[in-house]
Amino acid sequence: MKTTNAWTLVARRELSVRLRDKTFIGSTLLSLVILVAVFGFQAWNANKASTYDLAVTSQSQQMGQVVVDAAPGIDDKVTVTLVDVADDQSAKAAVTDESADAWLHRTSDGWQLVGKSDVSPGLQDIATQSIGTAVLAANADKVGTDVTALQKGTDVTTDILDGDAEQAGIAKAVGFGMAILFYMSAAIFGMYLAMSVTEEKQSRIVEIIATSIPLRHLLFGKLIAAVALAVGQLLLYAAVAIVGASFTEWGDMLPGLTSGLIWFIVFFIAGFTMIAALYAVSGALASRQEDIQSTSFPVTMLLMVMFFGAMFASGPIVDVLAWIPPFSAILQPMRLVSGEAQWWEALISLGILAAVTVGVILVAERIYRRALMQTGGKLSYKDAWNAEL
Amino acid sequence: MDRAPQTITVEGLTRRFGDFTAVDHVDFCVPQGKMTGFVGGNGAGKTTTMRMIMGVLSISEGRVMWGDQPMTAAHQRSIGYMPEERGLYPKQKVADQLIYLGQLKGLSPKAARESVMTLLERLGLGERTSDAVEALSLGNQQRVQIAAALMIEPAALILDEPFSGLDPDAVDSMAELLREHTARGVPVLFSSHQLDLVDRLCDQLVILAKGQVRATGTPTKLRGGSPRRHRLVAVRDAGWVREVPGVSAIDVDGPVAVLDLVSDSEAERQRLLGEVLAEGLRRGGVTELSPIIPPLSEVYREVTA
Repeated sequence: MKTTNAWTLVARRELSVRLRDKTFIGSTLLSLVILVAVFGFQAWNANKASTYDLAVTSQSQQMGQVVVDAAPGIDDKVTVTLVDVADDQSAKAAVTDESADAWLHRTSDGWQLVGKSDVSPGLQDIATQSIGTAVLAANADKVGTDVTALQKGTDVTTDILDGDAEQAGIAKAVGFGMAILFYMSAAIFGMYLAMSVTEEKQSRIVEIIATSIPLRHLLFGKLIAAVALAVGQLLLYAAVAIVGASFTEWGDMLPGLTSGLIWFIVFFIAGFTMIAALYAVSGALASRQEDIQSTSFPVTMLLMVMFFGAMFASGPIVDVLAWIPPFSAILQPMRLVSGEAQWWEALISLGILAAVTVGVILVAERIYRRALMQTGGKLSYKDAWNAEL
Repeated sequence: MDRAPQTITVEGLTRRFGDFTAVDHVDFCVPQGKMTGFVGGNGAGKTTTMRMIMGVLSISEGRVMWGDQPMTAAHQRSIGYMPEERGLYPKQKVADQLIYLGQLKGLSPKAARESVMTLLERLGLGERTSDAVEALSLGNQQRVQIAAALMIEPAALILDEPFSGLDPDAVDSMAELLREHTARGVPVLFSSHQLDLVDRLCDQLVILAKGQVRATGTPTKLRGGSPRRHRLVAVRDAGWVREVPGVSAIDVDGPVAVLDLVSDSEAERQRLLGEVLAEGLRRGGVTELSPIIPPLSEVYREVTA
């Protein structure tokens, strides 16, 4: 083997160690279970068919039938069945012992639904609408006109000039979801990378490695493995989320969101590579695991600013930040999903992000290489940059 | 890759950290097929010197030669190196990480596996190949480190404190293992604080103090050739030794005396010994006349003082 492929060996070791790490497997599985549960509940809820038993006496039997007939037209997942009872007393008894969900009876100024402790909103909606329409029709008939004539000219319709509010709401939610995923994933995988760099420095195994291969290869192998693992996990979550969403009422919006998700992944690769290089440096600056919290503080802050910027910035600030790495890594795909950015804008922004990432890696490589060989305690970025090898 | 052993020569090697000179114009050589002990107190510059030889630390001044060429990264890659601190990857399995390190040094996966398994078997770790390193005792972790240095059929060995933390049996078996490598011409440089151990194991010594070489050579040479001091036990009172010309009696206590043969010439000392023995026999007999070999620690204290 030549040293030119040494980074593949490094990357392979990192991957195999992490993929056998029980904590990593456990947390990934747990996240998947939560995702599946959320979508499962949504899908179950959306497809749930409800049946209501409505108690009627001879006096309310006819109106009850109106409700039964109207139910499928109002909500196709709802069925109403009538329970015939002899009188008001037995109707109340039926509601009390739950053999009926509600009792429909006439009052002096209309109709009343009597439930045990409450009246199900689904049943109430259907009863209100169907009974209202039927009574209105009957009243209209009495005065010699019809409902259509009565309602003529009362329609208020709406029209929207700028996008679909629901779609925009979903896009915003997806954007926030992407910002959260970016932050969590970058923080978790970045911190893991920093810890594994410190582990090598602390045990001085890095000296054995340094006499075997150029340290550049060690850094690149570790970076590539970290990015591959993070992206792999994101893709797994995204795949489960997409399959899950297709079973829910959001399924129709998926085709519009998929290209946004692809952009998100591409921006994540470029943005996280930069963040990961900085985490690797913070690992190299520490001399013990205990130091990592403080050496990685600037990177963690940067990531927080990226995250909160994406969540709370608005207006012209977003328009500017969407072009500035590393902020563009989160903001640009969010703008794509919401339709504010065009594909060519994304491409240019991605180019800038990638170029800056390459620059950061070059600087990081110098600090990393120098810092790893310094054994005397925690280092500052400046000391490490100036340190002699 | 050329894995033929070569002599390592260090010429005027210097390392400064800011204003502090950790290693100051150090010259010595680690000859092929010899065990060279590297001795010095804490902060004497042993580790810094070894790290410069391995290219882990850059050199402020001077150079390291591999045979008759300047040492390159390719040469360093063929050297088995054991750094100061221990641990490897604490959570990875012993065999897995040794195979990985072997591959980084250029072995094929198959060759690395074979070499690792054979070595671990020899080091008594055959049963522990699938254990995490952190699950091993410190002594066993040490053996794994040694295995990491030895598995590549090294062209040279640079070992920083290889014997620290080992019990006497482990020291013997490790020394035996190292001897196998010197037997095929490999130069071995190892540092140690344990002077008696160095005395027993090494063919030559380099004594370092405050970044400078204070003495080099075989243990015998460092003691100044054959010993000058001898212990005499006579049958009767040994007071007569004070009268022998060329012999200084350092201490006389009844029949027991400690003598110093006052001469730098080996032949002269031999002659003086013969005279003392002849005189002793004439005066009623001698039961013992033996050299007093100073412990290496005494030599060390003298040269580093």
